[in-house]
Amino acid sequence: MSTYRKQIQIVGDILDAAEELTIDQEGASITKLIQKANISHSRISKILTNLVSQGLLEQVDSKRACKYKISVSGKEFLREFKRFSEFTDNFGLTI
Amino acid sequence: MEFLLENILNLVGFIIGIIIGTFAYVGYKNTGSPVLFRLTIAFFAIGIGFGIIWGGYVIDDLVLQEGKINRGLQALGLGTQTIGYFFIAFSHTIKSFFPKSRYFRSVGILPLFALSAMNIEHIIRSFSFILLVYGAIETFVSFLEGKQKGALAVGTGLALLAFGEFIAWYSLVFPESILYSISILLKISGLISLFLPISRLPLRKIKFDDLEDEEDEEFGK
Repeated sequence: MSTYRKQIQIVGDILDAAEELTIDQEGASITKLIQKANISHSRISKILTNLVSQGLLEQVDSKRACKYKISVSGKEFLREFKRFSEFTDNFGLTI
Repeated sequence: MEFLLENILNLVGFIIGIIIGTFAYVGYKNTGSPVLFRLTIAFFAIGIGFGIIWGGYVIDDLVLQEGKINRGLQALGLGTQTIGYFFIAFSHTIKSFFPKSRYFRSVGILPLFALSAMNIEHIIRSFSFILLVYGAIETFVSFLEGKQKGALAVGTGLALLAFGEFIAWYSLVFPESILYSISILLKISGLISLFLPISRLPLRKIKFDDLEDEEDEEFGK
């Protein structure tokens, strides 16, 4: 049975993807983030703007396209998100 | 013997409830998840409920020395615990807990005014039992879907609490039997089982959202 992801889970997936795809100081392209986090372009644009404004992602200027890398706050949030996801999983709930 | 067991049960319940509640609150502060908010209310209510009854026993032991807890205080503690169990069950999306008809809603409240504290206590216990069974079943279903060991421990904990509640109610039929002591031991085991998976999570480095402080600093510039 397929289930819909909540907003916070989508944010967690995007940050997780950004962390995995951030190699050196390059950052990850939107296309890669879309593929990895399994989300549409129209939806990810709004969320990325939001995450950048909250300081969880950093926008990296690149010659060809806009790239994103996870910030220190983003890493901290992702670590907390994973920890408390495990906590709610123990109760048979999703965060 | 029962007095001592009751004291241990309520103290353990108070401590475990407050620890899990605090952990859930930190999670809510850091992630803003409504599920964690509901778990915060649930476990603070369970902890406070146990704490009220424990306080009642301590007051009786130190001040009143009647050998039994004040019935009103007992009902208040049990009611607070039931609120906690309700929020655990509510997190599993109970959609129609209260009757929709206005007639049933108004009639449903009436018996509470016509009953003694003793009877209210039993009604509250039966509500707790239903909510705990619901929570246990839903958690076991999640375990079968995800095979997470923590869910099995929490489901077992809730089931033991429910079974303990049932035995406590059944001990009314056979008063002064060993049933009440068994029910208390079952509840203590249930609380420990509930706490086991949470104790494995890294409880150190618990911290509240630093971002708020940083924002405050920026505004202060």
